[in-house]
Amino acid sequence: MSARDRILERVREALRDRDAVEHPGKFEGWRPTAASQPINGLIQLLEAAGGEVVRQPNVDAASAWLASFCADFESSAVGETVPHALRPPLPSGTPDTAPLGVSLARGGVAETGSLIMDARDGRRAHLLVPTHVVFVHAGDVYATLREALIDLADDLPSAIGFHSGPSKSADIGQILVRGVHGPGRLVAVLIESGDL
Amino acid sequence: MSFKGPAKYREEAAKTIHEKPEVRASITAATRTFDAHRVHAWGQIDADRWRDWARDVKTHVLGNLDEYLEQAEERLTANGAHIHWAETADDALAVLSEVVHAHGIARVVKAKSMLSEELGVNGHLEGLGVHVRETDLGEYIIQLLGDPPSHIVGPAIHLSVDDCRSLFHERLGTPLDAEPDELAGAARVALRAEFLQADLGISGGNFLAADTGTVALIENEGNIRLATSLPRVHVAFVGIEKLVPSLEDVSGFLQLTARAATGQPIGNFVSLIQGPRKNDEVDGPEEVHVVLVDNGRTKLLADDAAWEALRCVRCGACLNICPVYRQTGGHAYGWTYSGPIGAIIAPGMLGLEEAMPLPHASSLCGACTAVCPVRIPIPELLVHWRQKAAEQGLTPAAETMGLKTYAKLAQSPELFRAAGSVLRHVPLELGGRALPVVGGWMQERSAPKSSKKSFLQMWKEGIE
Repeated sequence: MSARDRILERVREALRDRDAVEHPGKFEGWRPTAASQPINGLIQLLEAAGGEVVRQPNVDAASAWLASFCADFESSAVGETVPHALRPPLPSGTPDTAPLGVSLARGGVAETGSLIMDARDGRRAHLLVPTHVVFVHAGDVYATLREALIDLADDLPSAIGFHSGPSKSADIGQILVRGVHGPGRLVAVLIESGDL
Repeated sequence: MSFKGPAKYREEAAKTIHEKPEVRASITAATRTFDAHRVHAWGQIDADRWRDWARDVKTHVLGNLDEYLEQAEERLTANGAHIHWAETADDALAVLSEVVHAHGIARVVKAKSMLSEELGVNGHLEGLGVHVRETDLGEYIIQLLGDPPSHIVGPAIHLSVDDCRSLFHERLGTPLDAEPDELAGAARVALRAEFLQADLGISGGNFLAADTGTVALIENEGNIRLATSLPRVHVAFVGIEKLVPSLEDVSGFLQLTARAATGQPIGNFVSLIQGPRKNDEVDGPEEVHVVLVDNGRTKLLADDAAWEALRCVRCGACLNICPVYRQTGGHAYGWTYSGPIGAIIAPGMLGLEEAMPLPHASSLCGACTAVCPVRIPIPELLVHWRQKAAEQGLTPAAETMGLKTYAKLAQSPELFRAAGSVLRHVPLELGGRALPVVGGWMQERSAPKSSKKSFLQMWKEGIE
C-alpha cells in the first residue's frame, strides 16, 4: 500500500459515520460600488491600498501619457502581451535591472481592487521592477472576484498573480514600509474605451 | 532556538512575563492593531453570512475529503505538476531530499509557511548542506536571530523596532538609528540577491482548489510571488485540510481570510499556481512539486468533535483577541501553532499527552470563537480535550486529589461544615503556602482574610 492509499484509507475511516454537509452554493461577496460601475470600485480600493490610478479615454491617449511618464526612466522591461502602441519609447532592460516595468493586465476586479496578471505576460517584469505600470481595459474589469475566477478557470496559464497594491510590510515594529520585495510603486492605467 | 514542546508551557509563559516584559508589550500592541483592523474590515461586509458560508464549505470539503484530494491530484497531474503524499514530516522531508538531489539544488528561497515550520524544513535543508533563506521580512528577521515564529501571520511581532535596528546593524551594517524604511531597504537588497541565485523556491499553500488544481497563496510583500516564479524548481507543501472544491470558492476564502487576518479586502499579492511554466510562457519554474501532507491531520479528522478545527484558515484572529496569548506571544506554547487554535489542534496532531497542558492555556472566555471566520467552536474543543485528559489521568495528581476530596466533602453537609470551620480558623496566609498547587499560586499573591462566620450562619442571622 502506498502513502497515498494509506492517507486516503485513514480519511475514509475517519468519515465512516460522519454526516455529509452539502456545499452552501455560490459566495455572495461585497461590492464597493454599484455593479454597473465596476471601475469606480477598482479605483477606490487600489488607491486605498497605496496604488496610483490614471484614467485615459483610449489607447492613443494612454500612449501619449506613457511617453511623458517615461521621461523619468532610463530603460524598461516590457510584458510579452503589451500591444505595440503601449510599449514605452525607452531602451529595453532586463527585469532585474530596469527601473520600470510595463505590463498589460488580463483584467481587473472591483470588489478587491485587483489587477489580474497572467504569466503569459512574463512574471519577472511584474515582480522585480521598482515601479510597475499596468494597463488595464475598463471592459475587462469584473465586479466581483468570483466572476473573475469563473472566467479565468476556462483558460489558465501556469500562474496568475492578483496585484492589489504596492509591495508592503509591517513586520518591523508594525510600521508600514513599501517596496519590500516587489514593486514599491504600482500605477494602474485604465483605458476606458476603444480597442487595445 | 527552536520550539521546546508544550510540556513546559506554564514555566515558559511565566518566564516570558517576568523576564521579558517588553515581549508582552510588543505582542499586545501588535495583536490589538490586527484585531482593530479586522473589526473595521468586518464592519464593511455581512460578516455573519460570509462566516456561515465559509464554515459550510469547509465542513463540506472535510466530509468528502478523499474525493476532493483525488480530484486535486488528477488536475494537478494534468497541469504538469508532480504530486507527492506524505504521511509524516519525515516523508515530506524525504521528498525534499529527492528534489534537492535530482536537481543539484544549492540555494533555496522560502516563502512564509507555517507547515514548513511544522515539518522542520530549514533544519533539514541545512543538514543536506543547502543554503536556505527565509524571504518574508518577519521570517527573515527571526531566521537571522534564530527565533521560531511567535504568531501565525506576524512571525516577528514579539520584537520591537529597536530589536530590529540592532540586528540589522550587526548583520547588514545599517546605522543604529535607521528608520524601518531603511531597514527594509537593506533587507530588499540582501534578499534580491538570494532570489536571483536560488535554484529552488519553497512555499506552503493557503488553499488548494480541487477543480482546477490551483494552489492559492496570499501575501503583502511579493516574496511569495518571487519565490514561486524565479527559481527553476518550486515545491509547495500543502496540508490535506487546505482543499476547497473549486477556484470559484477560492474567491470567498481569499477575501474572508484577508479581512480576518489583517483587515484588508485581499492581500496585495495573490498567487494562483496551476503547475510549471508552459510553452507559451517566457519564465516561471520548469518543475512544480505539490506535497500533500497528513502529519497528524487524519488523526484530528478521526476525532468526533475536534475535526472541526481542520476548518482553520490560519488567519490568526483567535490569537489576536486571546487575553492569554496576548500576555506571552507564541513561544511559550512550545509548538508551531500557538494561541487558541494551537491548543485545540496540538492534542489531535501530536497526541494528547504530548500536547498537555495547552488545552488549559485558556480562560474559556470565548472571544476566539466569536472572531473565528470559519466558526470553530474553540472553547468547546478546549473543554473536550480537558475532559479527555482527565479521563486518561493526564491531569496533575494534586489537582485530581483536591477535587476528589472536595467531592467527598460536598456530598455531606456535616463534613462540609466541619471542613469549613477548620479552614476559617487556619490563617490562609500561613497554611496556604504549605499546600500543593495553592502554595505555588500564593508565591505571587496574598491570601484574603477568613470570615469569622460561615455563610450559613450569616444567612440564618440575616444578611444585610
